[in-house]
Amino acid sequence: MSAYLVGGLVLGGIYAIATVGLVLTYRSSRVFNFAHGAIAYFLAITFHWLAVDQGWPRLTAGLFTILVAGPVLGVILWAVLFRRLAHAPASVRLVSTVGLWVALPPIARVVYGHREIFDRLGMGPSPARTWKITGVVVDSNQIAVLVSALVVAALLAVLLRTTAWGLSVRATVDNPMMAGIAGIDTERVTAGAWMLGVALAGLAGVLLAPLRGYQDFQFTLLVIAAFAAVVIARMSSLVLAFGGSILIGMLQSLSQSKQAEDLLTHILPKDSIILKGLVPSIPFVLMLVFLLLYRGLAREQFLVDERAGDAVPLDPVVGDRSLFRRLAPLAVLLAVVVALPYLVSGLWQAVVAKGLALSIAFLSYTVVTGEGGMISLCQVTFAGIAGALTARFATGAGMATLPAVLLAALIVVPFGLLVALPSLRLGDLYLALATLAFAELVENMYFQLQSVNQFDSGVAVPRPRIGPIGFSGDRAFYYLLVVLFAVVALLVVNVRRSTTGLTLAAVRSSEPAAATLGISIIRAKLVAFGLSAFIAGLGGGLYVTYAQRSLPYVSFNALIGIVWLAVVVTWGIRSVPGALLAGLSFAVIPHFFSEHFSGGWLELPTMLFGLGAIGLARRPRGIVHDVTHRRRQRAAARATAAKVAT
Amino acid sequence: MSPSILGVDGLSVRYGDARAVDRVSFTLEKGRCLAVLGANGAGKSSLAAAIAGVVPPASGRVTFDGDDVTGWRSHRLARRGMAYVPEGRGLFPHLEVLDNLRVMLRGAVAPSERPAALDRCFELFPVLGERRRQAAGTLSGGEQQMLALARVLAAPPRLLVADEMSLGLAPRMVDTVFDVVRRARAQGVTVLLVEQYVERALALADDVIVMRRGEIAWQGPAAGAREQLVTGYLGGAAGQ
Repeated sequence: MSAYLVGGLVLGGIYAIATVGLVLTYRSSRVFNFAHGAIAYFLAITFHWLAVDQGWPRLTAGLFTILVAGPVLGVILWAVLFRRLAHAPASVRLVSTVGLWVALPPIARVVYGHREIFDRLGMGPSPARTWKITGVVVDSNQIAVLVSALVVAALLAVLLRTTAWGLSVRATVDNPMMAGIAGIDTERVTAGAWMLGVALAGLAGVLLAPLRGYQDFQFTLLVIAAFAAVVIARMSSLVLAFGGSILIGMLQSLSQSKQAEDLLTHILPKDSIILKGLVPSIPFVLMLVFLLLYRGLAREQFLVDERAGDAVPLDPVVGDRSLFRRLAPLAVLLAVVVALPYLVSGLWQAVVAKGLALSIAFLSYTVVTGEGGMISLCQVTFAGIAGALTARFATGAGMATLPAVLLAALIVVPFGLLVALPSLRLGDLYLALATLAFAELVENMYFQLQSVNQFDSGVAVPRPRIGPIGFSGDRAFYYLLVVLFAVVALLVVNVRRSTTGLTLAAVRSSEPAAATLGISIIRAKLVAFGLSAFIAGLGGGLYVTYAQRSLPYVSFNALIGIVWLAVVVTWGIRSVPGALLAGLSFAVIPHFFSEHFSGGWLELPTMLFGLGAIGLARRPRGIVHDVTHRRRQRAAARATAAKVAT
Repeated sequence: MSPSILGVDGLSVRYGDARAVDRVSFTLEKGRCLAVLGANGAGKSSLAAAIAGVVPPASGRVTFDGDDVTGWRSHRLARRGMAYVPEGRGLFPHLEVLDNLRVMLRGAVAPSERPAALDRCFELFPVLGERRRQAAGTLSGGEQQMLALARVLAAPPRLLVADEMSLGLAPRMVDTVFDVVRRARAQGVTVLLVEQYVERALALADDVIVMRRGEIAWQGPAAGAREQLVTGYLGGAAGQ
């Protein structure tokens, strides 16, 4: 038992180091860094490369990584990205760091040579030295963590409480404008906070690797625990962040002990999903519990967005363009989509069908984020649940496939409402975190279920038939998807034009103003969220029908969802053609790379998707809007020039 | 003629398509007090914010103490001796009173003189000394304004830009606030005063600018400003 206590303390210590870095950067710049774990991964790999490939002494490599590489990376990321984000709308701030989360791991693998790292080298001696202290075995890696956590806590307390720099940071956090007026260079303070925060991520990474290894999912687990601790700390208190981290580490460690296992197997049926997914799910359960707890408290503290009103300007009215000019590009796109199966052959027909199924799922982002202004990280989960249900209805219960897809999508809707309800009032960031928690929870529990997973072989789904027409061939199924995409797209466009759409536009552009007009913000957002869950469910059901197999743990895990979001915002979150192109590129680009390249090149598509989302900081409306808009601007300029000439 | 400490030349401020300040020019000579008056939305606060480096100017030039400071960020101006008291309470609500003063004095005074300046703050406003460990946001409105202004007297700046200091204060506190500005003037501080209390501002100021829709509508000595204001520019909104 006491070994698990020490283990929990060590795990909690690593979480704490990561969490305080996250809180520090968020507080000083108002940018919540979803890429914190990816940065820890990047720096851990940097350490490994220095120590193994470059043959540096391990301690030197570790100190260099934490004290030099970390701060340098921090200041670079700040100068290139985070600084720009400070004045961006909330949704752009969120999505850009999500993009960084997607892009950084492949960048790390390309920069440092593509390879799997199987050893667990750390800064300390290897193999680790062990001591027996009052009956508990403690090794040098664990002691390194405990000492580091204590040093970080003490150092931060002294820095922030007693030094001039600490006072500058606290002043900047409290009132950035006033800090500038008082003579503080707030940009330098923020840059310093990012240097420190990224260095702390590096420290957490270098400490984690010898205990858990260098696989990138370990760093995802690390940052997810940190997210939960940040919620417990209400994004602000460093003390609560520390305590919350230790609590999560302790619970995770203790739940693995013999006593806890015995207890649980007594209460729960054998092979219960709760038993299986318990440890990885603890952070999410805690996060959801604390979100509900805090919801009642200090609502205004979360609700007030200091930049409410500058989010997304309403679309300009398209007045002087003729119907032909407006529809011509769409017609071209449509023609390409219709001709596509005849332009490509064999396996590629399946790839474009897959892309189209994804496009339908991606339309859910057009509703929830594009129209509703909310960042959801669990659209992929709605798709996955609906996919699994489709398989169950179609194969298990013998339903026809298309009704099964529809029924499954409808069943997902209440789930969507259930996730959104507790966090909507708390604001964008909390909704994003809650949806991420939900995605991971479902992934660890439901998707792992024996009846869903079937020993990683999944459940078969037959292609549909409508009367005499069968859609078993890829090309035929593709055309069915074209029709369905058009139907859903019309639905989305109609929602945009409806009263609900106008309501959402009003809420998006200023929540306080919309509320004073008597608009129920929560109801409008719930409608958007529920509809988006339905659309995501349709997409998920159609995706498994394309694949003829439902294996949600592989196709619909939370990290895939992160990449989904990155792709969609790259093309344009408010645009139907954007969703279409996003779905096609998500299927086509990786397949293209896998056919023509090998090795590190295969990382490139993911990297591009991530970088695309990062680019959002520069062009928040996506590629589709920029291309059409530029053309429109040129046309307007020509018109003015013509007028002047005559 | 004494040298000018602040020069504003063709300064414009825009928020998107809206033009808040439109090609405003004036100079402020050392030791004088200029009151900027005008109705709500005339661009007074935007002008003050642009001079203090809080809002970037769209065009035009600002010179301060002989240097072209156009586009400087606020912290550099603060270090050069400009003190800006923004509309609302210019302080750090979650920091202690003592920390507030330490932050504000840091940009204003050399390190060796800070303890003495801090003591002067507490001498001038004993209530701040009594509450030095209290979070500034928990002080009363008047006490908060004292906190925001304490440094002006404890470490006199070269230029004080004060935006609607009296906003939302009880009449007695308004007296205190104007008294602070009067004492600062006595210490030789140049003052740019954005105000809503026309009578009090005119009593204090040497010169007056009246703004309307972002432009200077009238400009002249405070002595002759009363009738101009009431009849021509503020309409019914003038007076107290």
